[in-house]
Amino acid sequence: MSGDTLGVPAGGNSDRASVVGLSVKTKLLMAGLAVALPILLSSCGSSEAPPTQAAATTPGVLVEDAWVRATIGAKDTTMTAAFMSLTNPGKSDISLTSATSPVAGMVQLHEMSMKDGKMVMQEKTGGIKVPAESHAHLAPSGDHVMLMGLKQPLKPGDEVPVTLRFSDGSSHDLTVPVKAFTEEEEHYHPSTTPSPTP
Amino acid sequence: MTGRPSRRQLFGYAGAAAAGAAVTGGFVALDNDDPVVVARYVDPHGDHQPAIAAASPKHAELVALTLLPTTDKAGLGRLMRLWTNDIVALSAGRPAPGDTAPELSVPGVALTVTAGFGPKVFTMPGLVKPRGFSEVPVMSHDRLQPGWSGGDLLVLVGADDAVSVVHAVRRLVADAAPFAKPLWRQTGFWNGTGPDGQPVTGRNLFNQVDGTGNPAPGTPEFDSTVWSPDGWTSLVVRRIQLNLDTWDELTRSEQERAVGRKLSNGAPLNGTAEHDELDLEKRDADGRLVIAENAHARLSHHSVNDGRRIFRKGLNYVQDNGPTRESGLIFLSYQADLVSQFLPLLARLDAADALNEWTTTIGSAAFAIPPGFHEGGWLGQKLLS
Repeated sequence: MSGDTLGVPAGGNSDRASVVGLSVKTKLLMAGLAVALPILLSSCGSSEAPPTQAAATTPGVLVEDAWVRATIGAKDTTMTAAFMSLTNPGKSDISLTSATSPVAGMVQLHEMSMKDGKMVMQEKTGGIKVPAESHAHLAPSGDHVMLMGLKQPLKPGDEVPVTLRFSDGSSHDLTVPVKAFTEEEEHYHPSTTPSPTP
Repeated sequence: MTGRPSRRQLFGYAGAAAAGAAVTGGFVALDNDDPVVVARYVDPHGDHQPAIAAASPKHAELVALTLLPTTDKAGLGRLMRLWTNDIVALSAGRPAPGDTAPELSVPGVALTVTAGFGPKVFTMPGLVKPRGFSEVPVMSHDRLQPGWSGGDLLVLVGADDAVSVVHAVRRLVADAAPFAKPLWRQTGFWNGTGPDGQPVTGRNLFNQVDGTGNPAPGTPEFDSTVWSPDGWTSLVVRRIQLNLDTWDELTRSEQERAVGRKLSNGAPLNGTAEHDELDLEKRDADGRLVIAENAHARLSHHSVNDGRRIFRKGLNYVQDNGPTRESGLIFLSYQADLVSQFLPLLARLDAADALNEWTTTIGSAAFAIPPGFHEGGWLGQKLLS
């Protein structure tokens, strides 16, 4: 099987499916990009960004490099995680506050933390903060978007729609590729896993 | 991972953001403290896939893949979106999403990826073959080996650094696994930089300056040679063995006569500088044509081919097998219309080229190269939507 675009009606919206990180909120994104250039360059160089430029618009969060871990072959095929990089070119912190996906009964924002010497996963209260002029990297063993109550196993080559909502009121509709990845077994299958409530 | 980003992470994003500035694939200095260190970033976005008009990479690998029977038009679309994501990340020096070895992706190595579709793709229902695209027929001098020929998809990765090329190929091939499997791989190298750091034409392993006759990128001549009106081009890949042993038995003047150019700088035998015009009528004191009747430069010159031109690129290769080494050239030809521009030229060279005595083509493949993609778009979007 070479996979499917999941969670979209038959006939699909693949015409309109945009590449991850480049959502339908194109205008917002482009504004973000235009401002991102001077600020991000300044953050690793010496030149100073003109402060008025960022104040002129309120750029949203830029989403890049999103992917979802395949569940085919996993012990538990009802849950997985989405990972991505979030960049906030603006002057104020923005948080990823929630996410939804038609392939999952429930989606939560999770963090990993040490508890009694063991790495455990728990819901991240207040969402995932993307600091001003900086990044948040959602990656295996770190913060992630947890997809629970999956309606079907996800295999490499599939695409899943994911919608992200941010504290500045913006949202991003993503089409996220499913990729194979060998995960540390305990990370996403801890005994304390909250049972999904679709 | 949400803490203070590392310097490297910021570089990755700065590289991505600089895309808007470095529209022409320009040079981005990453380290202000050391002006000698100039890292290169080629913006993956644009009307055309950017590597085609860019200088030849130092290191490159081509992988042809065969589509799995289950891969339909929709699946091919998913693969192209997947690859597009990977290309954007890898070009900026970020790991491809889901990379299991993320530290192997580094910025500043001018990494480029070019993707194309083989003839079989256009037999899928609803997919229209670009005008002038076809397979390349077997020529009389060809000794094709199936292991180097054909393919339904092509990915061509180039960079200043071989590690980066190998790693990018590993990711692109791994991510393609649900859709396609490799058919052949070819690794090559090219030196397109002179001792002063300036771009030069580069040499094949026959010691010939190779590619002098090309139209220059950025000129109307280049555009009309390479791009079809809807932004496609085609790429012919031919693996050509060079028999260095018998070539080395020739005198230098015999070698120059076979190609019609001077070995020292690529100048036509009637001239002194590389880009001097060929004088195809000029004769020496004995009445012999200075550029011989069967010289490669004459037979491939556009003035004797009804003005037909191609845009040639090359990669040297070596293939080792125990103590023996095969040497050759991965011949790459880009043209808007393969049928009307490339095939007549190939037939002419096959029939008479003096170089045929020392060269044997052992692999041949043709790919239609879709236009580039812009922010929010993906490779082959118009074809596959």
